[in-house]
Amino acid sequence: MRISQRTVAPGNVLLCVLCTILVVSLIGGNVLLNCITRYNVASSQVRSWKESLDAAETGGDIAYAELRKTISDPTHAFGPSNGWTYSGGAYTNSPVTYGQDNLSTSSRVDPFYYDGNGNAWYRIRTKGTAPVLGLKRVGMDDRMGPNTRGDSLLRKIDFNYDHFVATYGPNGDGVGQTLVAMIDASGNPRPQISRRIELIAAPMTPFEAAIKAGGTFYGLGSAAYIDSYRSTTGSYDASVKTNPSDPRYPDSRSGTVEINSSVATIQGSIYGNLYTNGGTVTKKTTSISGIIDNNVPFSLSPFAMPSTAGWNYVSSPTMINPNTTINPPVVNGVPRTGSPESPNYYLVSSFANNGNLTVNPVVIGGVAQETYVAIHVTGDIGQNTSSQPTITVPPSVHVQVYFDGNLQTKAENIINTSGYAGNLQFYAISPTLPNGAPDPSVQQTVDLNSGGGSTSGFSAVFYTPSANFTINGAPDITGAIVCKNFYGNGNVHWHYDRALDSAGDAVDYRIISYVEDIR
Amino acid sequence: MKLKTSQSIAGFTLSEMLVSLSLSSIVLAAAITSGISLQKSFSAVDNYFSTQMQQIRIIDYLNRDVKRGLVVTTSVDLQSVTMSVPKYIIQAGDPEAIADPETIGTPRTPTVAYTTSGWQVNYSPSTTTVVYSISGNSILRTENGVVTTIASSTDQLVPQSTDVELSNTEYANTSVTFLPIFTSGGAVAERTGTSLYATAYLRNKRRG
Repeated sequence: MRISQRTVAPGNVLLCVLCTILVVSLIGGNVLLNCITRYNVASSQVRSWKESLDAAETGGDIAYAELRKTISDPTHAFGPSNGWTYSGGAYTNSPVTYGQDNLSTSSRVDPFYYDGNGNAWYRIRTKGTAPVLGLKRVGMDDRMGPNTRGDSLLRKIDFNYDHFVATYGPNGDGVGQTLVAMIDASGNPRPQISRRIELIAAPMTPFEAAIKAGGTFYGLGSAAYIDSYRSTTGSYDASVKTNPSDPRYPDSRSGTVEINSSVATIQGSIYGNLYTNGGTVTKKTTSISGIIDNNVPFSLSPFAMPSTAGWNYVSSPTMINPNTTINPPVVNGVPRTGSPESPNYYLVSSFANNGNLTVNPVVIGGVAQETYVAIHVTGDIGQNTSSQPTITVPPSVHVQVYFDGNLQTKAENIINTSGYAGNLQFYAISPTLPNGAPDPSVQQTVDLNSGGGSTSGFSAVFYTPSANFTINGAPDITGAIVCKNFYGNGNVHWHYDRALDSAGDAVDYRIISYVEDIR
Repeated sequence: MKLKTSQSIAGFTLSEMLVSLSLSSIVLAAAITSGISLQKSFSAVDNYFSTQMQQIRIIDYLNRDVKRGLVVTTSVDLQSVTMSVPKYIIQAGDPEAIADPETIGTPRTPTVAYTTSGWQVNYSPSTTTVVYSISGNSILRTENGVVTTIASSTDQLVPQSTDVELSNTEYANTSVTFLPIFTSGGAVAERTGTSLYATAYLRNKRRG
């Protein structure tokens, strides 16, 4: 019997195959591992970091919308029904959750400053939070050099505890530091990223132009003109607007007219800009020194009576009759001057056709003190064009007159001797339906008559966004007007005081500052 | 019984050995070359992805600072961006901190001033200066003199252009590119293909 020995070793092939599979698997695994790291950073962490800012800004929008209600709907601003509570001088809302990724945001709003008009400036602090899905891994700092810092300095992820609360406290002021575990409602770990921003909402005052009409415009007379000056640099001088060498010249050509309509009949001279909404005004047919832009739409919101919660209510007088005088109230033996944010407040049910109101300042030691007065007339001020209601405002007195009805009087009966139009402000409260919505069926009017061809004028400002404004004759006017439709048929000399661009009640708010707390 | 042992020894002739060695060498060379290529490709792809992450980081850093900036200016050679940022947090050495050390690390309450250009909100009389600059192939972020490298030198990151325009609003355009390791169509085309663009608007109304 012969036994044949074979020397072939077939196992080598299997070994080679296994080694190849191993090598390929190692490479594949390494690639997958790196892909997971990139995906984790790019898809989860970067996304969450951006989404948390989106959430914070959403919180800012929510708070901003709410504080705008302090103008348009004061009784419902920061209402509990919308989730707002008031404590410690600030409004806070409960966290709002939204979006597919369960983003959440909360806000804190506090009035931190009151300007010379008594308007509140609001600080909005919001926090936006986004969950971090994916693996609980830090970013890609390890891929950088020894002195290089990247993701962990930029995107601060709270894997186990809220680093901000632990280090700086919930309000970031070093008070109340504590460990807050990052867990969801079920107690499971839930890493997240939070970003915090602070916005400043500034009040917008109404008198940015000499005349601002939300509807149509007609006027003024062929020999009329509108110019400007700045009362803080001197009294009005008619020669400045034609004298470029005068240092006050730059302030003399801001008698701007803004019309939110294509119906604009322009007469006379405008030393300023003219804006219309679809008009066809050109310099060929008009005398306008500044820019003509026929594509400037805007809107005027209805005006609501401001909240009087912080005002000093004075019970008398309640009616304005001939020779009615308002003297400052005396509290604990001291006459009260009031302040821009807390004026002496009078609620008046009627202003007679022949009513004559004089508002006196507080006088101490023979020196008149700055005195602040708000008067709410719940009806008309004058009831026909021949009516004679008069308001007299001496120096050092700041009067704001709010009226629910119409205003009709002679221009010469608006007597403001303070030298500043902003010291006598008229506000027409827009008519509303019982449910608070604007009532389009009621048309407010403001009629000012020069009175027998008199050129006597007035110094005052009017914010009457729902009222048609009519002025007859050729008065000399210092001030500004915001109205619905404007009609003037006389040779009026209208002087806009540039100092008025920061005067008056807030008619809206805008965000003018943005910072992020990047800690 | 007689066992018969085969006398023939299985082996290779010299020619067989030479042929097999040649074939083996070719196969091994191909395998090694493939492995090296695979490794290079992996390294290049890995580098590409990680550099893209750094692009995103640069853009995120820039956008965050531009948004909260008061003024943003770009150097003429487009190699650096300088921005002024409100001093929101009281830090050691600040006047408030000297007056009351307890205030260190707390947010400031802003002040409001009326200027000829309108209302202005200020958190502090001075501002924080943040500069983004290029150093070699690294991107540096300098805040009040403290330098942080936010993109590493190994990734060949170069902001290609940065621009700030002034109109009704103010914004900064940024483009960040890098040169990938693997090239096929020339460096310019390769770099252009990696461009990452971003636009960030200043949220603060301030014009210098």
